[in-house]
Amino acid sequence: MNNHESTNEGRLAISLKNVAVAYSQKSGLFRRKDYWAIKDVSFDLFHGETLGVIGRNGVGKSTLLRLLAGIIDPDKGEVLNYGVVASLLSLQVGFVQYLTGRENAILSGMMLGLAKQQVLMNMNDIRDYADLGEFFDQPVHVYSSGMRARLGMSVAVYANPDVVLLDEVLGVGDVEFREKSAATIHEMCQSNRSVVLVSHQPAMHKKLCDRLIWIEDGCVRKTGDVDSVLSEYMHYFEKTRS
Amino acid sequence: MNKFRHYFSLVMQKSAADLLTEARRGYLGVLWWIIEPIIYMSVFYLIFVVVFDRGGEDRVGFLLTGLVVWKWFSAAILQSSNSISANVGLIRQVYIPKIVFPSMAIMSATMKFFIVFILLVGFLVLSGKTPSISWLSIPLLISIQWLLMLSIGCILSVLVPFLPDMKLIIENGLILMFFLSGVFFDISVASPEVKTFLYLNPMVGIIESYRNVMLNGVWPDWIFLSVVVVSSLLALLVGVYMLVRYDRQFAKVL
Repeated sequence: MNNHESTNEGRLAISLKNVAVAYSQKSGLFRRKDYWAIKDVSFDLFHGETLGVIGRNGVGKSTLLRLLAGIIDPDKGEVLNYGVVASLLSLQVGFVQYLTGRENAILSGMMLGLAKQQVLMNMNDIRDYADLGEFFDQPVHVYSSGMRARLGMSVAVYANPDVVLLDEVLGVGDVEFREKSAATIHEMCQSNRSVVLVSHQPAMHKKLCDRLIWIEDGCVRKTGDVDSVLSEYMHYFEKTRS
Repeated sequence: MNKFRHYFSLVMQKSAADLLTEARRGYLGVLWWIIEPIIYMSVFYLIFVVVFDRGGEDRVGFLLTGLVVWKWFSAAILQSSNSISANVGLIRQVYIPKIVFPSMAIMSATMKFFIVFILLVGFLVLSGKTPSISWLSIPLLISIQWLLMLSIGCILSVLVPFLPDMKLIIENGLILMFFLSGVFFDISVASPEVKTFLYLNPMVGIIESYRNVMLNGVWPDWIFLSVVVVSSLLALLVGVYMLVRYDRQFAKVL
């Protein structure tokens, strides 16, 4: 997991320039209406940093992660990728019900961009990380949702992209596993790779992030060090509530 | 090139997984790959050979050849046209070039077709057909049909997410095509005007080619096959262009 050299530190990984994204919604028989989830967002992501994204529900945080992952193209502006592989640390990518945990790990790992050989080489680690016991060789449809999430998490951890995009995935499984995944994420943030972390928990941003971006209504409201952005965000929140 | 290899192996892995899934779902397991097509063919045999007494002297072989080939086509088109919409969850989570999805659908349909096709050949040989030299063109016919399906599947897979209503049109269009493709009647008995119209459906000529080759020991119509190849390649070009053009748009419309 530690093959990311530190020589890249401080270099640009991805930059967003005046990016806007619209979803078209059906409104009538042949009519479609555009809804702008992101209106104007610009920022740079550097190698090795952990960038936090904060904002209320529905302000376009998930859309932002999809842009960074290259899943969608912007409708305006541009996303410049300086040769990095960015992927969402998503759980349960393409699980097939009647395949075993092991078979699903291969398929899911391949969908996350690993060669089959790489997954097979890491199979013991994936199995140990998921810690499912003999369930690892049983079909996924007998798993509980917690067990499924554990398998997903362990495949995602070993998929090892340059830029990890995290969307509030920490509440997975039982207490023990939650601690394990929190430790892994902590480790990722400390390591030389870039992490973008979307979360509603200021405590987590404080603990893990180097910088913070506050998104409000599809635009960047403020960028800067964690403490100053957080305090302004909290302040704004108090004001709107009262 | 490396990427191409990766996505190709992903297509193979997923198609194999689909086959396994089907086998593990029921109690009969792998047997379903054989039982299902036998049931399917028996139904049509019962209706068109026993009840209506249709077809010439080779009627059972005539009917089964048409059915096997048609079933491959309709399964491949139905699944590939749906392939991008059906994988919304995946498409929203991870970037995969979208051409992978129709290819996967066609590959799973093809794997199942091979099993059934081997059964068909076994049946024909057991019922007294001796393989003739023309059988050498069977792999070519299969490849041409595969190319035709891939080109149609790619185009439809792009259209369905944007126009979900297409799904119903495709389903019913396939039913219509099935009845007009000469699976259970001989096209050559139709009047010339009707015939020209029917031949607009490429599957008519393809099914006829399989029958000529496998039942009558005659070489297929090379000119017709060349026309199918050229038009499929053109359509494939359009389909791949559309898939690339809208590659990173699907997660927004689905």
